[in-house]
Amino acid sequence: MNVLQQVPRNALVWIIISLFALVAPHVARLPIWVLAVYVIAVIWRLQVHRGRWSFPGRWVKVAMTVSGFVGIYASYGTLVGLEPTVALLLTAFALKFIELSQRKDAYVLLFLGYFICITEFLFSQDLLITLYSVLTVVLVTSALVALHQPGLNRFNRGTARLAGIMLLQAVPLMVVLFFVFPRFGPLWTVPLKNHTAKTGMSDFMKPGDVASLSQSADVAFRVKFEGAIPEKSALYWRGLVFSRLEQNVWSGLGYYDVPLSEQRVDEVVTSGKPLSYSIIMESTQQTWLYGLNYARARSAGVLHSSDYRLMSPAPLETEYMYKVNSWLNAPIEMELSDWRRKTETTLPPQGNDRTRQMALDLRAAAGSDEAYIQAVLNKFNQEDYVYTLRPGKLSGQNTIDKFLFETQRGFCEHYASAFVFMMRAADVPARVVAGYQGGEINPLNKTVIVHQFDAHAWAEVWLENKGWVRVDPTAAVSPLRIEMGLEEAMASEGSFLSAAPLSPLRYRSIPLLNQLRLRYDALTYRWQSWVVGFDSEQQFDLLHSMFGEISTRVFATLLLGSWALVLVPVAISLFFKRATHPVSPLDKYYRIFCDRMAGLGLVRSPGETPGQFAHRAIEALPGFKEELLQITGLYDDLAYAGVKDKAELTQFTRAVNKFRPDRRRGLVEEDITI
Amino acid sequence: MDSNQPSFDMRDHSFLGRMRRRFRGWVNRRIPPAREVTLDQRRIFIFPSRTGLFFGCSLTVMLIAAINFENNLSYALTFLLATLFIVATLHTYANLSGLTLRAVRAQPAFPGQQSEFLVMIERKKRRDHYALYLKWPTSSDALVNLVEDDNIKVQLHMPVDKRGWFRPGRLLLESTYPLGLLRCWTWVDLDLHALVYPRPMSSAELPGLATDTPDGAAAMVDGNDDFYGFRDYRKGDSLRQVHWKGLAKGQEIQTKQYTAYADRSVWLDWELFPGMGVEQRLSHLCYWVLEFDDRREEYGLRLPGVTIEPAVGDKHREQVLKELALFGKGEAQR
Repeated sequence: MNVLQQVPRNALVWIIISLFALVAPHVARLPIWVLAVYVIAVIWRLQVHRGRWSFPGRWVKVAMTVSGFVGIYASYGTLVGLEPTVALLLTAFALKFIELSQRKDAYVLLFLGYFICITEFLFSQDLLITLYSVLTVVLVTSALVALHQPGLNRFNRGTARLAGIMLLQAVPLMVVLFFVFPRFGPLWTVPLKNHTAKTGMSDFMKPGDVASLSQSADVAFRVKFEGAIPEKSALYWRGLVFSRLEQNVWSGLGYYDVPLSEQRVDEVVTSGKPLSYSIIMESTQQTWLYGLNYARARSAGVLHSSDYRLMSPAPLETEYMYKVNSWLNAPIEMELSDWRRKTETTLPPQGNDRTRQMALDLRAAAGSDEAYIQAVLNKFNQEDYVYTLRPGKLSGQNTIDKFLFETQRGFCEHYASAFVFMMRAADVPARVVAGYQGGEINPLNKTVIVHQFDAHAWAEVWLENKGWVRVDPTAAVSPLRIEMGLEEAMASEGSFLSAAPLSPLRYRSIPLLNQLRLRYDALTYRWQSWVVGFDSEQQFDLLHSMFGEISTRVFATLLLGSWALVLVPVAISLFFKRATHPVSPLDKYYRIFCDRMAGLGLVRSPGETPGQFAHRAIEALPGFKEELLQITGLYDDLAYAGVKDKAELTQFTRAVNKFRPDRRRGLVEEDITI
Repeated sequence: MDSNQPSFDMRDHSFLGRMRRRFRGWVNRRIPPAREVTLDQRRIFIFPSRTGLFFGCSLTVMLIAAINFENNLSYALTFLLATLFIVATLHTYANLSGLTLRAVRAQPAFPGQQSEFLVMIERKKRRDHYALYLKWPTSSDALVNLVEDDNIKVQLHMPVDKRGWFRPGRLLLESTYPLGLLRCWTWVDLDLHALVYPRPMSSAELPGLATDTPDGAAAMVDGNDDFYGFRDYRKGDSLRQVHWKGLAKGQEIQTKQYTAYADRSVWLDWELFPGMGVEQRLSHLCYWVLEFDDRREEYGLRLPGVTIEPAVGDKHREQVLKELALFGKGEAQR
């Protein structure tokens, strides 16, 4: 084999390390047999290296490739989509490793490795994942460097150091490119994640759904207000509107459920200064976005639905940032169309008869819609209703009857659902709204962190001359929930995050841990807003604020300037190396000695040993015999026996320092006369 | 330039051939032949390697992935690797820069044999140089590191064919260290030539052997008749003629010399092979030079315009072979 094509053993070690480092973050998403392939691949290749086994033959390779495809198909049921594609890539990566024999194979493998790093980002752009990916990039680059260090058979840390240094040198220009490179939309549609679980609210709601979501301590989104943060009780993050009740399940209206004439929303009349804020959503795999009603998006690409929700055109695959203006007091939909009125008052034809009867009675007694609402809320507030995370299961028919008249224990969705049912039963237009309520304020960066346990459901009622009005029946049962949050509301029950014993949120009472958690969250927010959420709008703002008018000339100057900024220091560090080898202190002082001798006209010739030189020097300068012998003797001892302790070296350096022949001219007059 | 110059054909009149010649000329002006060349920016060429181009394609795919998934960290990694490519330019260049290539020697050889070329790579600055690949157009190759030592001698072997000076052409020194993405190389002409002797061609006997004493011509016995003195031992002297007694007494090693040895010296003469072509004559002469050298007998050489007095020993043999190798090749070549 060509010497240039050999893969050094050192490189093989680095490749194996990077192999496992690359697959590690994918493990949770992969079928278990893919990991087995990795183990087999490494064992096989190592046995080849030791000369025990041989490389797989052509038919073995074909068989392995085919079974890889079949295996992926069997595990995912499809080959289309992001997860199967990545799994295929990872399997191919392991199989390619088995047949790694030449350097060109290694190149293919390692470049594939870089690509696998990128696929990890498609699943998560979390700060920790990013830090981990930096490590894998260093590893892959080290493997690439090791590939060009023939004959280094010992595992060498210098390899990784060089890789690290080169990557560090590359960082400044990368940062410039990152902020300057134009962001344009996708060139074509890409395979989506269809095997990753959707998180957060779902697009239908049945009793118990919100309660189970409230067990999670994950972050749903983070909000940064441009001005002061409103009261917690005003933070109703509206995300979904459920207008349809079928078989105890509330669901929203689909796009085709709304007739074309209803699709276009009346422009809401807004007045006063809006509440401006930006939201960074964690990935949900869903399309809905959250905002404070009435919300109007400031970011391009956010859609507005006919029931005043915000929507993303595509499921949120990764973190997503958008900006919103909200007018909390704006009246919404003052005129209710016939179709809308019909939709928002429709109930299933039968069932829950006791509730229906009670609704009609209460309505008749109240006299007006407003009074009726108050009457229902009073009922919740004054009768023996319990707000709990453990409402018990309601099954069978007439669940609202059972809840209202039997169990009387419920979470927010029970109350919202019963409330809306009673409104509709009395022919008052009403609907269930789902989203989050409240949030935790991070004092470090003044963001509002909304967790999954802030999930909430409430109601909207349409009133003459007022439009849609928010009514939260939970507030009537448990005012603490709205003012303080779920943790305080559940304090006596002790059910808060009972399913997540390790969540740092449970240890908020320990100041140090809480401080760390908030600091990390602030860091995550900064990361998401500057790196993950960086888009063409932010890019324009940034470049505009830095350079004013953006032109090609600015771009060119910026790129060339940063180019020079990066390459000049690198070049200096590379080319202005010390010209000579570092001299040991021993040699350095011996040289000083030689220089002093040379000052007297006694130059040591290149081939002369210290002993010979001393001999010659003693002949020429017998007056210095003692010192010459001492210095030379010490030097010889130290040079050949090695410097064992510092004391000997100090003795030598001191002897050299004391040796000042030029200051004792009296002893060398015979030489001076020469 | 004689025909020993490989891969360079003056008769190629195609466009590519002309371009190649012009390029050669440019390289010759840029890096003139010298026994010692220190590599600097005038002498080092750098260009993305095939791997680098492949890497560029991979980066394009990564960029497309970043654009299509609108994934900022993918953008970041793509840009990091693209910049790494640029930074690698300097590192790759630095791996060759400052190295000194020095011609050490080229072993003379017979046609069909391998000549050994010895070059030395030296560094002046304290920097590790890895994966230096050396090769002449037709030679074996070598891959060396310059890490612990400040210089390293590299042996390259290459087959030689025609009698005369063998010019190996330009030595390629190449490196793709550290990432393999860029190829940094230089072609240096180290002004190092190997002497190629004539191809030895045996003849059953030496026709009309020319000796100083015509009657002693055929008596090819070992000259150990009349001892006449000692001289210092030279490498190659027969062990039978070593003065062992002296050596045993602790004297310097010496060789006994015999008169017969001197008397029976042979003249290898151009005229011994009448009616033959130049190369054939030289080949036969070469054969007999080796033959007599083997027997440790004295021989002299007479070529038109060249006369070497009879003698024996390695130095003599080399001198004679050199005359044979360069006969008729022009004075400028010596």
